[in-house]
Amino acid sequence: MSTATFQDPSRTRRVRGGSAARGPVGAAPLERSRRRMFWAFTAPAVIVYAVLFLLPVGYAAWTSLYKWDGISDKQWKGLGNYKTLWQDPIFRTSLGNTLQTLVVGGLITFVISFALMLVLREMNRRLFARSVLFFPCLVNAMVFGIAAGVLFSPDGPVNQALKWLGWSRPPQWLATEHLQTMILGTLVWTATGYYTAILMAAVDQIPDYLYEAAELDGANAFQRFRHVTLPMCWDVISVCAVLWTVSSVKIFELILMYGGSSGSQPPTGSWNTALYVYEEAFPQASTPQLGLATAAALVSLFLVILFTVVLRRIMRRDPVEY
Amino acid sequence: MGSTTGRGPRLLAIATAAVLAVGVSACSSGKSADKAGAAGGDSGKSGGSFSYWSMWRKDEPQAKVIQAAIDQFTADTGIKVDVEWTGRDVSKKIGPAMAANKAPDMWDQGADSIYGTAAQNGNAQDLSAVLDMTIPNDNVKVSAAIPSKYWDSLPKDPKGGQHWVIPYEASTAGVFYNAADPDVSAAMSSAPTDWDSFIKVCDALKAKNKPCVASEGEDSWTNGLWFDYLLNANGVNFADLANDKSGATWDNPAVLKAAQQTEQLVKGGYIIPTYTATKYPAQQTNWAGGKAGFLINGSWVTAEVAKQIPSTWKYGFMLPPGATQPDSMTFGFALTKNAKNVSQAEKFMAYFLQKKTLSGISTEAGNITPRTDIPAPAELADVQKTLGADKLRLTFDGVAGDWNTKVWTQNYLDFWHGKTDAAGFVAKMKSAQVSFWKTQS
Repeated sequence: MSTATFQDPSRTRRVRGGSAARGPVGAAPLERSRRRMFWAFTAPAVIVYAVLFLLPVGYAAWTSLYKWDGISDKQWKGLGNYKTLWQDPIFRTSLGNTLQTLVVGGLITFVISFALMLVLREMNRRLFARSVLFFPCLVNAMVFGIAAGVLFSPDGPVNQALKWLGWSRPPQWLATEHLQTMILGTLVWTATGYYTAILMAAVDQIPDYLYEAAELDGANAFQRFRHVTLPMCWDVISVCAVLWTVSSVKIFELILMYGGSSGSQPPTGSWNTALYVYEEAFPQASTPQLGLATAAALVSLFLVILFTVVLRRIMRRDPVEY
Repeated sequence: MGSTTGRGPRLLAIATAAVLAVGVSACSSGKSADKAGAAGGDSGKSGGSFSYWSMWRKDEPQAKVIQAAIDQFTADTGIKVDVEWTGRDVSKKIGPAMAANKAPDMWDQGADSIYGTAAQNGNAQDLSAVLDMTIPNDNVKVSAAIPSKYWDSLPKDPKGGQHWVIPYEASTAGVFYNAADPDVSAAMSSAPTDWDSFIKVCDALKAKNKPCVASEGEDSWTNGLWFDYLLNANGVNFADLANDKSGATWDNPAVLKAAQQTEQLVKGGYIIPTYTATKYPAQQTNWAGGKAGFLINGSWVTAEVAKQIPSTWKYGFMLPPGATQPDSMTFGFALTKNAKNVSQAEKFMAYFLQKKTLSGISTEAGNITPRTDIPAPAELADVQKTLGADKLRLTFDGVAGDWNTKVWTQNYLDFWHGKTDAAGFVAKMKSAQVSFWKTQS
């Protein structure tokens, strides 16, 4: 949704500002007919959005006020589920892990992506390099889970290589204390290519003469990045930041793959809010707590919204015209 | 399978969950099961039909055994069976399906799972009528063919009933070893009877540079069996311990003793090295390859390693020394809350328990049946003998589900990996349990 408002700020501003407040009715025939057609054209999208997104969210909000196993009758709980979340140390851990992924993972991803932008703009065969970088993003997370079991086992290829390089006691990658690191690592690895691809598309649009001018002024590679690349694709960067926020909060298949074992769920220390929701809604051999699950889902939805709004505020710049 | 709820379903679970994204609950899948009496059978036979969602996937041996029985059942009675091979996830799907009134008449799962998802909330029908039915051809009542202890150990549904499942497969958990392994036979002439002698056996193996115990370090269920049995040995009921909202039961010295005995395995260096850093089934494979002496697991493990063990292998089985009662996990049929074709489904339950039909669970699927007159596969003969005990108890005394996930797994793994000591483990469990029960109102 944010991308839609982004591509043509002038139009959205007009719509948002409310046409009634601006200009007398019937200012210009074109304007008038545009205004008349606005709802006719947007109604289908609005209806789809309402049915597929707003209604479920509303239903979830309503469910979150009840204790419900999905089968029996709902029991009114008021804000009880939210109180439970507040008191539940596991939810607090989950929230902490979510934020850690969001902030730490995000920083690492974007630092690497920026570094790659620096290199990729100037290198030969950059399209090929970009495809290679993008590739991990196409691979299903489950493949990583299975591959990691082989690659990172105590005598696996990774540790063999490390030993060969002279590390006599390489880490036990798959041990539970490294869970969060492994999850974060995989996430960064898959996401970097994805964001690099988007950012590079923006970089390609920057006219060469700006770089040439900068070079003539004696700017080095980093200065060109700082004063040309960064401001010129700032809008795209801020969209990427929002995309990262939304997607990083949702991951949970990676946690299940790395942390889950044959007979039990991942240790609670590795949970994030999405996994918390999943475990409450689809527990193994116990009663689903759909009220609590939806309450947790709404809390993480609220978290995403809050983060997105703050991020958009911080990253707002006047668009650069060229 | 790791717990009775299953090893297989994670892929499916992830696929299901991925669709749900941030987790608004979606409703059931599956086709409508309400076909009451729609299909007429041959004239002269009773006819009708019922629907059934199975915990087995179509390619599993149990599914083949059940499918063969269904074919014969339809031929004999004219009752058609609308079966769907759902896999272990059936326990996750059955609740929403019941809510949407699209559930099948009959389903099957581990008794713990049936209880957790349905029976404890009164969503499984009473099957006492089946116990009074006569099994075709064998001419014995169901209650005579299957020992009542299998039901006596089950928790009660809201109406106080225990007959919400008709078991067709039985299992227990315990310590498996290769009696033909010279290191093991040198370390013990007969199975040790108390914990200290077991530790001595471990010492003897350690002296030969052989780890005593193999363990999938990531799995709190199999590794937790040690603690579960040691609690039993020390006279503590796991369910009483877990269900104590005040957590005070954890202060019982017997609990600490069981924890300290478990800790001996960890601190003594008896567990196969690297156990904390591998994924299932790496260590089970090591054990099958003779790299460790003992492995604790459910009795399905013999079927899992069947292709890995050498031909010289000779199965030995014992409970962790000191334990007084074997635990029991059964798999069986249940009826959903609003099942419409009750009589047809019940007829099939009794039909499937026929000796010639049920034997397939032993001969083809390599598992034990609850009927004592069906011999277990050779490698499970000792296990069947253990299950012959007068009284059975449930694994973890029936504790499963949310408590396991939220209180047990993280704390026990920290303990099993040596990050906390016995006293620290007990203290952490106590406090985690108190906050858990606060969130369960």
